[in-house]
Amino acid sequence: MFAYIVRRMFQSVIVLLVVGLVAFSMFRFVGDPIDNMLGQERTQADIDRLRSELGLDQPFPVQYFKFLQGAVQGNFGVSYRQGRPVSTIIAERAPATLELAFVSGVLAITLGIALGVFTAIRRQGVAANVIMTVSLIGVSLPTFLIGILLIYIFSVELDLLPSFGRGETVMIGNWSTGFLTTSGLKALILPAITLGLYQMTLIMRLVRSEMLEVMRADYVRFARARGLSDRVINFRHALKNTLVPVITITGLQLGSIIAFAIITETVFQWPGVGLLFINAIQFVDIPVMAAYLMLISVMFVTINLIVDLLYYAIDPRLRVDARAT
Amino acid sequence: MIFRNSAVGLAMLIATSAQAAEFKWASTTDPQTMDPHAVNSAPVLGFLNNVYEGLVRRDKDMQVEPALAVSWEPIGDGEGWRFNLREGVTFHDGSTFDAQDVLFSYERASGEAADTRSWFAPIREVKVVDEYTVDFLTTAPNPLFPSSIANWMIMDQGWTEANYATVPDKETGNYATLNANGTGAFKVTAREPGLRTVLEPFAGWWGKAEHNITRAEFTPIQNPATAVAALLSGDVDMINPVPIQDVARLQGSDGVDVIQGIEARVIMLGFDHEAETLKYTGDEGKPNPFRDPRVRKAVAHAVNVDAILATIMRGNAEAASQLVSPAMSGYSQANAERPAFDIDAAKALLIEAGYGDGFSFGLKCPNDRYLNDEAVCQAVASMLAQIGITAELDAMPVRNYWPELREDNYDMYLLGWSPGTFDAEHPVRFLVATPNEEKKLGSWNFGGFSNERIDAVLPLIQSELDAENRQAMLDEVAQIIQAEQVYVPLYVQPLLWGTRSNIDLTQRPDNFFLLRWVTVN
Repeated sequence: MFAYIVRRMFQSVIVLLVVGLVAFSMFRFVGDPIDNMLGQERTQADIDRLRSELGLDQPFPVQYFKFLQGAVQGNFGVSYRQGRPVSTIIAERAPATLELAFVSGVLAITLGIALGVFTAIRRQGVAANVIMTVSLIGVSLPTFLIGILLIYIFSVELDLLPSFGRGETVMIGNWSTGFLTTSGLKALILPAITLGLYQMTLIMRLVRSEMLEVMRADYVRFARARGLSDRVINFRHALKNTLVPVITITGLQLGSIIAFAIITETVFQWPGVGLLFINAIQFVDIPVMAAYLMLISVMFVTINLIVDLLYYAIDPRLRVDARAT
Repeated sequence: MIFRNSAVGLAMLIATSAQAAEFKWASTTDPQTMDPHAVNSAPVLGFLNNVYEGLVRRDKDMQVEPALAVSWEPIGDGEGWRFNLREGVTFHDGSTFDAQDVLFSYERASGEAADTRSWFAPIREVKVVDEYTVDFLTTAPNPLFPSSIANWMIMDQGWTEANYATVPDKETGNYATLNANGTGAFKVTAREPGLRTVLEPFAGWWGKAEHNITRAEFTPIQNPATAVAALLSGDVDMINPVPIQDVARLQGSDGVDVIQGIEARVIMLGFDHEAETLKYTGDEGKPNPFRDPRVRKAVAHAVNVDAILATIMRGNAEAASQLVSPAMSGYSQANAERPAFDIDAAKALLIEAGYGDGFSFGLKCPNDRYLNDEAVCQAVASMLAQIGITAELDAMPVRNYWPELREDNYDMYLLGWSPGTFDAEHPVRFLVATPNEEKKLGSWNFGGFSNERIDAVLPLIQSELDAENRQAMLDEVAQIIQAEQVYVPLYVQPLLWGTRSNIDLTQRPDNFFLLRWVTVN
């Protein structure tokens, strides 16, 4: 067990290092931050001076090594654009993204499971067919289009919800929350739907097909033969067995909700880390880009590691194999 | 639609009954710092003009008028300028403004770390004469100096020193990056970089308030569609810019207006004047045809600017004949004619130059710097194809674009230039003068154009005190530039702002948005 964990951890670290190396080798192609930092009346001397001050004149492995040196000490450098420590900026922006991801995650899971069960039970019904058709649109429309569409319907035409931003926020310690104000909650609705729609339809379809599978299983038939009510069969027996693969998928999707909030955040001018990253790319703010990419890869690697460890705990066969080799 | 109209009507009813109001506006870029000397860029200087003030400022028509200085006069025979400062001015924190603050701000803004350093290149020394008089001594007579410092903003020495911000720091930031303490009509009450900046009127401002704003909030909105939606839904009162493709739609909507103007920025085509050979396409390595003025003239005749303006800019821009727009001082009336669209003339010029069979070359273009820049380049490429020269278009984000130009990776390129001094001398200094690092000349003359006469006349223009003589020299330079077709000026970029109908404001050609001219009706 211990050897397995160590081996997996070691692999995770290697993955992280490679991600960082690839990221740093790409930054040159993103562009040159110098022109954004100096005004129109700069001279070549100014350009050279700033370049060497920022260490941009060095080859990328050296830049990467310096970044790692700082990163292991918790220092991610200073943003070129804002002139403030990257760690501070990310800490400021993270609550917005995490709250949005949380709400859309909850939305996706509850609605996804409920609709999935409904469409599985009422397979032939008109409502179920309508839901399935609509969900197809949800899967196939790109996120930014859904976002713009929602803005035009609910804020421009109906004037019910704000078109951008996060509304009023309240500070609890270092955490800025939009949950405690009306405008904050209103602002959450459209982005959360936009971000969660794809995951919702995914979960719904997964639950539906698993449920249909389970409903054909012998133990459900036996349960019916025992004369149990539909409710007990559907929710106590069938749904429970459906959820195992759903939980695995949702766990992995949680990471992508956070990582792919970028598009939703740009459309709604949502002040989270995704928007920060987009701005950083436009400005070639290398410290922010590097920190964000590392953070996201740490997140994915951690989630995968946990999933692997869970499998190890759940699936006895893995343990047997490990002992045999 | 019914819902919205009634909602707008209600909103307007409420707004008209109130005398003073909140104002919200959005733009694509967040000013990256609150430090007026750290970054010399339009978003920063434009924003900070609401908060800080200079000795002089520009009025609604871009004319220089007194601000923190009440008057100024030349010293002796062009030895420099004496500024008489305004008395009784206080900074937002309550401390008084005097000559020491001017000297301090001069040292801060002209120091090694300041991005505004080049404004003070002609200054030899700054002397405090008394509490409200300051002398700026120049190395040579400099008639333009007072109008060149309209964006040089004065900081309070005490406040800046107490907060350890004596030197601007754009790399790691300091107190002045996030906080501001100016003398302007508005003070910054909240600053969250990239999210929002809140301004409130400064009660102790020396000037008479023309606005009726009680609180103003700025939000950067990057996505143009989101900004338009925010304006339509009334979440913001003003956006800058309006995407060109949305102008007609906004003009047709109730409760929203589009304010159009002409910006100071001229969009032009540039050439590589130095390279011996072409660098791109099948003709790579062949002699560079653009060294021949006749070929450059052929390009000028082949580009149908009116068609570009009618289709891509949808009638929102004006053709340009020279490197500055007619709104700038020193514009050459004598050279207001631009080369006519004339394919035959263009072909004849090519044959005369020995390129009757045409050639192919590389055209570099940004795709996120100017309004519809890539579309303009595509149009130019197809227009040039009609005279038998084929452009291989390579469009890229501006963050990759400038490094490419600096490394001379182009045969022809697109450039926009907005003269910081609002004078015709500015583009000559940066775009036409022979590049000279030491004298800070030609730093944007990527193509390396060089003309002895222009290099000789430029210093004379800079130090000429007589307006008529100066204009004569500027006319001569404009004439040479046109005769040599150093650049092909295309059009003056439009300014497109969207507002709610109940907002009155002033649009200045420098694209600066000043809150003190805003009225919420």
